[in-house]
Amino acid sequence: MATETSSVRSSSAIWRMLTSDRGAQWTARLLALGIWQVLSDRVVDRLPSPRETIEIMVLEYQNGDLITNILVSYRRVGTTLAIVLVLGILIGSAMGKWMPARYYFKDIVFILVSLPGFIWALLSVMWWGFSDKGPIVVGVLVATPILAINAYQGAQAVPANLRAMSRAYRVPLRREFRSLTLRSMSEYLFAGFRICVLAGFGGVLLTEWFGNSEGIGFRQHYWYDGNNFNGMLGWGIVEILTIVAIDRFLFDPLLRRLRAWRVGGEEWSG
Amino acid sequence: MAATQRPVRARPRARRVVPAFYSLLGLLTLLGLWSATTYWIVFDPYILPPPWLVAQRMWELLGEGLVFSNFASSLGKTFLGWLFAFAIGIPLGLAMGRYRYAKAFLNDFVYLVSNVPAIFWAVMSILLFGINPLGAAFIVMIVVLPVVLLNIAAGVESVDRELLGMSRAFKVRRMLVVRSVVLPTILPFVLAGARVSFANSWKIEALTELFGGRRGVGYQIGQAFGRYSVVDTLAWMFFFVIFVVLFERIVLVRLERWLFRWRPMLSESSVVTVQG
Repeated sequence: MATETSSVRSSSAIWRMLTSDRGAQWTARLLALGIWQVLSDRVVDRLPSPRETIEIMVLEYQNGDLITNILVSYRRVGTTLAIVLVLGILIGSAMGKWMPARYYFKDIVFILVSLPGFIWALLSVMWWGFSDKGPIVVGVLVATPILAINAYQGAQAVPANLRAMSRAYRVPLRREFRSLTLRSMSEYLFAGFRICVLAGFGGVLLTEWFGNSEGIGFRQHYWYDGNNFNGMLGWGIVEILTIVAIDRFLFDPLLRRLRAWRVGGEEWSG
Repeated sequence: MAATQRPVRARPRARRVVPAFYSLLGLLTLLGLWSATTYWIVFDPYILPPPWLVAQRMWELLGEGLVFSNFASSLGKTFLGWLFAFAIGIPLGLAMGRYRYAKAFLNDFVYLVSNVPAIFWAVMSILLFGINPLGAAFIVMIVVLPVVLLNIAAGVESVDRELLGMSRAFKVRRMLVVRSVVLPTILPFVLAGARVSFANSWKIEALTELFGGRRGVGYQIGQAFGRYSVVDTLAWMFFFVIFVVLFERIVLVRLERWLFRWRPMLSESSVVTVQG
């Protein structure tokens, strides 16, 4: 009787674990891995299996290509995002604060947002060839309007009474920007910057693919030219891991810190 | 009396004219900078053609009949992708909104798909489909699916519980409850989400054509790049912008207004997007 009760207890514990959120997530992950294996074995000849993908990336690591090219792309993305941060905040906060600036930049920003990054990437290759300038300029062109829109929305969220009080006390513009505008905008800037990382990284990768001799995008194109699908997918996995790592190890802790004073709230990214 | 009325009348006109003036000034500055660069910095129109040469080329392309056929081809593939996304996304989104397990199960998929660089999808399209129009449609489906899922799930979660309780109390048939209560709540979310994701799906579709297509806007841009023709690339780029703006502002917004003319519009903030 006691054995029966304990087996019922353990089976209900397993059932609870399987049907929990974590259980559902792990079931989905294992299922995705299984589907990938079956697709590569039975359905699509070109698609490399998980094992083949890992093998080629180990080879890339042993050749010294993995780390070198990753670092080149990261340096470019870092430079891009530093420029985007300055330009995006300046344009966006000007749009939020002054009516002429709002309408002056509105259409320009809208046009830039509508343009796909790959067209800029192709143009940059034709203009600057295989240089460092192309990936950085494309990243800036793709990501700046996104941050500007978010900064503009953030600047509009600045409490009007605090702004009026700053004027009444004749607070210098720089101090008002640092202590009031930037703080009120922080949530919007954070959300915008998160998208900017993805957009800027994408712009850099595209330019490296179409015309560069270094970087993640270049290496992926190298395997594309060699008709080697294992290498193409392997570097694609590097791209995904980069974004996931930035999100989990940089943005999530930052977001927790930013929202530490809030009670409750729910976020999607799991 | 007339003197007191004048400023009241003048103000709305000023409200329209002043923004239009600054907006025009912004665009003219852009065009001016571009023209000045071609004249004083770059010199060679082959490397950076002036705006009027690009406009002339756009006119020629329109005359050659290339523009409409290629945009129609790209639009067809985009719509096919959307169709697949809605066919799969509606039942899955309903499940996500209704069951916690389904939401947790699809969590990683939504997160990953919405955070993967576009180039990855272009590569996947070649891997899975080779040079095939289905590849572009498949990638559009993958990119649009998270938006559909999140918006349908948000729609289901926002269904009025009191109305559902009342339907149960009056023993209304389940299908009738879905048609009369659930669907009208969800549809505005779906359409608003679709409008938000349109520009993104269109960009991904064109990129996929650039990598492996035989027709479409992306293919034409790739051809222009192959010839190293900056003027052609810029001409297609402007067609791209014009098309996205017109389609979004005229077709999608009007469709949304017409479909939901009987109820207040959703505010931008209530639309669930996968980024930000």
